[in-house]
Amino acid sequence: MSSGEGRLVSLAGDLRAFGAAARKEWRLLRRYPSLFIGFLFWPIALPTAYVLQAQGYAGGSAAATSAFASRAGTGEIAGFLFLGWAAYMWISMILWGPGTALRTEQVRGSLEAIFITPASRLVVIFGPAVSQVVWALWMFAVVGVAMWLFFGVELGLAAVLRALAVILIAVPALYGLGALFAAVVLRFGEVHALVQSVRGVFTVFCGMTFPIIILPEWARGVALALPPTYLIGDLRRVLLTGASLADLLPDLAILFSIGVEICLLAVVAFRSTERHARRGGSLAQY
Amino acid sequence: MRSTSLPSRRQDLADEWRAALAIARKELRVALRYPLNLANEVLQPLYQFLLPSLLLGATFAVGGHALGLASLVGTDDLAGFLFLGIVVGGMVGAAFWEIAFSFKREIDVGTLEPTWLTPTRPETFVIGRAISGIVIAGTTSLVLLGIGLAIFGASYSAGALAALPAIGLAAFSMLGIGYLIASAVLMLREPNFFVDATSFLFAMASGVAFPIAVLPIFIRPVAYLLPTTYALDLLRYHALGIRPLLEPWLEWLALLCLAILTLVLGRLVFRRTEHRMRIRGTLGQH
Repeated sequence: MSSGEGRLVSLAGDLRAFGAAARKEWRLLRRYPSLFIGFLFWPIALPTAYVLQAQGYAGGSAAATSAFASRAGTGEIAGFLFLGWAAYMWISMILWGPGTALRTEQVRGSLEAIFITPASRLVVIFGPAVSQVVWALWMFAVVGVAMWLFFGVELGLAAVLRALAVILIAVPALYGLGALFAAVVLRFGEVHALVQSVRGVFTVFCGMTFPIIILPEWARGVALALPPTYLIGDLRRVLLTGASLADLLPDLAILFSIGVEICLLAVVAFRSTERHARRGGSLAQY
Repeated sequence: MRSTSLPSRRQDLADEWRAALAIARKELRVALRYPLNLANEVLQPLYQFLLPSLLLGATFAVGGHALGLASLVGTDDLAGFLFLGIVVGGMVGAAFWEIAFSFKREIDVGTLEPTWLTPTRPETFVIGRAISGIVIAGTTSLVLLGIGLAIFGASYSAGALAALPAIGLAAFSMLGIGYLIASAVLMLREPNFFVDATSFLFAMASGVAFPIAVLPIFIRPVAYLLPTTYALDLLRYHALGIRPLLEPWLEWLALLCLAILTLVLGRLVFRRTEHRMRIRGTLGQH
């Protein structure tokens, strides 16, 4: 067999392994139906609480409402908050996903066995996370329907397609972060506190509930270095203010380039931690 | 066999009280073994709720004042409003997670049946956990109130001390709610979502994050059935001078009645649940 044919066979095998890993996770999810209720409840309940809070802050005062509109760039309060929290929940899934999957295998004692297989490391890290794409799409759909049904926010097809393009451009950055967390799991085992801290940083700086324009200058600098800031801001712009992709080009270029950098960093970090774990025999330790 | 003469009953009560204190000490010792988790008790409400809420409030501010909130409740002290809210939020968390969900943790590690074989009454375990939960939630609340005062410009009037009995009454009510939720936790095999969702809805309906007036009209009656609604309203009334939901004497009366009702009902339901599970032999199943 030539080396080209060998590579093709290996790629086909990896794709099959990828599909198998995703199917396994999907089956596991189906065994716990209460999770389905959670995926319906939280995308509605969490943003709704903040919409009610915003109504409390507006308090029927026209001055307060117009202050929000001038800072946020839109008067669509419910849409603004629902999109912020939808992005937050998707980011949470991705941050937890690959690392948690590795940690679960570690605790179950099956991680070493998986690393012995000839499957690519990409399959090991992202195979289980693929099943979560279904949940992410479901969550965005629930958010869209809730915005339309409860708050009368209508999203046109063209705007939704532009939003999908923004999400696709954000994928390398977010999955790169997920892979970085997976590397940290391999190195240190427990990452709960770290994930909580990073989620906290994202919540405070990236504008889930507010426009970053109200942050002090130093904090705005931090916000602009974080990929979720661009994802959230751009989703709001295409869906709520009708911005075109061309309008967002500088933002999207930054988001994509941060994504490439994070992915490269994740590859280096993962290879180095895997080597460390294999040499030290710590792959299954927790 | 338990003796029913008066001195013996007094002795029994003293024994149960000692057991409750021992359980509380054990829970506090376990909590102290994880200082990062303890720090998270303060940090998590800050970054997950208070900071996003304050920043959303800043988006609605006009000339640095929360005009909308002032027109709705009678104070523009946004930080004071939210930081006092988290005091009651902490009580709700203690009832749902520290009291009720701790039974699930015992089931998971297989220690529920052995502890219930001891001569200590099962209700005493609830009381012990309530004491440790109140100590942790109380300490966390004091730290958060201090942060609100020192960093976020909250200002609480000394009259807030007059609301302390209201917090005490609400704590008794939350013990009753803890019994009720613990019964549900014992019945459900996977209670995580139930506890998570109900504690969130309970806190939101109590007005932790926003004034009750913004709740949809069909949900508002539920808010008026919760003891925490009145405790929080009295606390904000005395500390910030907000307009109360009802006449203050009526709120005190409602709080007293709800404390008695929830305690009696909670104990009754918990006893019945425990009895049923003992007969069915399902106490340790998960």
